[in-house]
Amino acid sequence: VIDPALLVAVPLITAFLLPILYRVHPTVGRATAPLAVAVTVILGLGLWIHVAQSGPQVVAIGGFAPPLGITFRVDHLNLVFALAMGISALLLWPAGRYDEVRENALMLLLVGAGAGLALSTDLFNLFVFYELVAVASYGLAASRGTGAAFAASLRYLILGGLGSAFALLGITLVYAATGSLNLAHLAELGPTALSGPLGLTAFVFMTVGFGVKAELFPMNTWVPEVYATTTARVAALMAGAVSKLGLLVLLKLLLTAYAGTGAGTALLTVGLLSILTGELAAFRATDLRRILGYSSIGQLGLVAVAFSLPEGAGVLAGLAVALNHVVVKPALFLIAQGWGNRLSDIVGVARHAPVRAIIFFFLGLSLIGVPPLPGFWAKFLLLSALLETGQGLMSITAAVLLLAAIVEAAYLFRIARVVYEPTPAAARTAGRADLIPAGLLGLTLLLAVVFIAPLGDALARISG
Amino acid sequence: MTTLEAQLLGYILYAGAIGLILLGVFAMVAFRHLIRMLLGLALLEAGVNLFLVAVGYRPESAAPILTGGVPGSMVDPIPQALVLTAIVIGVGVLAVGLALVLRVHRAYRTLDTSELARAIAREPEPTAQELRLPGGAP
Repeated sequence: VIDPALLVAVPLITAFLLPILYRVHPTVGRATAPLAVAVTVILGLGLWIHVAQSGPQVVAIGGFAPPLGITFRVDHLNLVFALAMGISALLLWPAGRYDEVRENALMLLLVGAGAGLALSTDLFNLFVFYELVAVASYGLAASRGTGAAFAASLRYLILGGLGSAFALLGITLVYAATGSLNLAHLAELGPTALSGPLGLTAFVFMTVGFGVKAELFPMNTWVPEVYATTTARVAALMAGAVSKLGLLVLLKLLLTAYAGTGAGTALLTVGLLSILTGELAAFRATDLRRILGYSSIGQLGLVAVAFSLPEGAGVLAGLAVALNHVVVKPALFLIAQGWGNRLSDIVGVARHAPVRAIIFFFLGLSLIGVPPLPGFWAKFLLLSALLETGQGLMSITAAVLLLAAIVEAAYLFRIARVVYEPTPAAARTAGRADLIPAGLLGLTLLLAVVFIAPLGDALARISG
Repeated sequence: MTTLEAQLLGYILYAGAIGLILLGVFAMVAFRHLIRMLLGLALLEAGVNLFLVAVGYRPESAAPILTGGVPGSMVDPIPQALVLTAIVIGVGVLAVGLALVLRVHRAYRTLDTSELARAIAREPEPTAQELRLPGGAP
């Protein structure tokens, strides 16, 4: 039996040993860091098989039983996010162009803390892992080492600090109202103790706090600057896997402590506002990385809306939208980096990079939700989950969703028109290093198209 | 200590915590100087930490440390353990923030956010070539 604490411990210990390993020999350090992440992913897969055979596991860290001890809950839903983090990190490993030792150490920190964030079921422990993820993100956001990158990272840190303080305040209020921090315990106490104004205020504070990483309105103003100034791989990782972890925390809260309290309405509201502001800002933006950044705000809004539905009705849909985005958005960022930032840079670029253009628009179509791509099924699931609730508000939400898809189509087709412009552009040497992960992600999506039926069944089982 | 005094102390604790939180948020929103914003963050964190300790406070209770005999009543030890962690995290984040402030100042010679925004807007957008190459790290 694999101890789930290893998923956190292996990358964290390696992160702290990394400077020493680099001193032994740079090659040792360079090889160890991704290897540790690979080991983490393999351990995660081992746990996945174990859960498939004998059901979800609750592990008390250090043998201290809950409610006093801290527990990890290992189930398929949590493991999906932990594995998405690890696998994305492997695919998007920094190419070591800047400060290799620090970048690699921060990546390990991100993977370890991300796994902890996905698996932990203790509110305060979630806060600690969230802060670890945040600090690793601030460092990675600044990894290009330009003044603009430092300024963007600092803005991110100030906003993140504000959010974290509010998250801690929310956690404090939950503790004050219930005297417990264990989510399983809170699931019993929550319906009576947290359904009042105090409990709902706590949820709003936590939504604000965890919403920074989840790119939720209004805590997402860091997104365009950071994605425009950091490396494409870091932007891809943050928009892809890291942002979903923030939403997973909120989902866990809604499924346990806040089940049946109506707190989901708060998440639904910020989700809707994220969709509207994100997609409209993407439509107005004129630079490729900002368009992709704003579009990810919109997509995360979709996931938030799905997760906010009462009684976990939208978990399957949210998971599908989230996974579609985890696969699609990183590849778009990678390809966009090779092309350049401004729309004027990419005029007629398809002539020089036909493969990239095809991958870009294949993935882009899935983002919009064009059948038969997985993005279509994800949005279809979300729409049917919304309409099945039979509430008027949900019908309006569904209408907003469809409108958002039209806006998404408008700005992606605008990019397509520029990219396929017949006028020849200046020949540009695009690095091949980014084409491999982008191609692998494209291949993943293609496989998902082919095996959509078993994939849908698996997701339905995961979201239970 | 009478019950009234204990109640009063509780109110003072909560009023202080909420005051610090409001002051911190105000400083982070109203000021444009980066160090002032970070100081606002420090105030906000102090307020939240005080709030956390106040939640665990019980009148007429000993600190939750066993020194021989068992006292009749102890304050809730869990918030104290949490606050310890939260303080450490807060200091770490603040240190990272100040390190970034140094780098920003080295690059632009200003810490005023609106001046910074203007300076950054004046910079040419990086070309595709530059996006793939190391930036001008100081």
